[in-house]
Amino acid sequence: MYVWIWRRLPGGVPGKIVGYLVLLAGVLALLFFLVFPWAETALPFNDVTVDKPVSTSSPSPAPAPGSPTPGAPTPGATVP
Amino acid sequence: MTTTVAEASAPTAWSRDEIWRTMARGFGQLLITAGVVILLFVAYELWFTGYYTQQQQSTLNTQIEKQWTQNAAPDVSTVAPDKVKIGSGIAVLYIPRFGKHYHFVVVEGVGTDDLKKGPGHYPGTALPGQIGNFYVAGHRTTYLHPFNKIATLRRGDKIVLETKSMWFTYTIQDIPGTNIRWKEIVSPTDVAAAVYPVPDQSNPNKKPTLRLLTFSSCHPEYSASERYIIHAELTQSLPKTPGQYPAALSAPVGH
Repeated sequence: MYVWIWRRLPGGVPGKIVGYLVLLAGVLALLFFLVFPWAETALPFNDVTVDKPVSTSSPSPAPAPGSPTPGAPTPGATVP
Repeated sequence: MTTTVAEASAPTAWSRDEIWRTMARGFGQLLITAGVVILLFVAYELWFTGYYTQQQQSTLNTQIEKQWTQNAAPDVSTVAPDKVKIGSGIAVLYIPRFGKHYHFVVVEGVGTDDLKKGPGHYPGTALPGQIGNFYVAGHRTTYLHPFNKIATLRRGDKIVLETKSMWFTYTIQDIPGTNIRWKEIVSPTDVAAAVYPVPDQSNPNKKPTLRLLTFSSCHPEYSASERYIIHAELTQSLPKTPGQYPAALSAPVGH
């Protein structure tokens, strides 16, 4: 796979090295700014709140401001 | 990467051995790549996410500073709990046990995006200094991990909150006259432990009389199967005057 890419990159050895670095940077940017942020929302280890058992693995929806009555933040919440 | 020389330009008929070798090598490289990507993901979660939070915190710091000095808005402790804008900074948190440079702006909201900015206040629960339960959740291992050392907190430790015109000092302790212990490990859905105005009661509508604070973070560390809970009670309210700080802080840093 890597050899296959190497052969197809133009510009002799220096050009190939530069080409490889550019490809690598592109892949890293893709991972860090698109794939990883997406992947972490699907994984549970960032859940830190105690919340109603509606969604434990997906991002817990913040209650809309104004919806909870002051003094009774979780109307109808049941504890299992 | 091997140092293969360019193949002959003429189309070559591959022998069966060559095909197998190429496929096995490609598969091996794929597995190694997958391993590297997973390691990169771990590095991303543990360290790279912190840069984002750092940026957000410094923005929030500037905003809250501006709000305190230029804005006519009242102190957050006098505002109705549900009147705070999601995503905005509400108070600055100091925990002496975590070091004298430790401070975070507490954000309103506990949605994924809010918690990326810093420790988040559960909307609708009491605000700093108010009667009820000021409940804050924070990351333990990622996004600058504000509650990384939550397990080092001890009974009697102070938690200080700075608002526009007040310093509120909470003390970690079993809450007198209740069954609320200073530390708990609960299931992620045990809302009574953290969200109720009087924690650990069966009745969510029980009228609060005490000024409490609750922290939660994931537990065990690097997992999320349970929640680590800390309870504290307000023990000192000090109006802000220049040069005077609550006893728990020698002098605040940062912002």
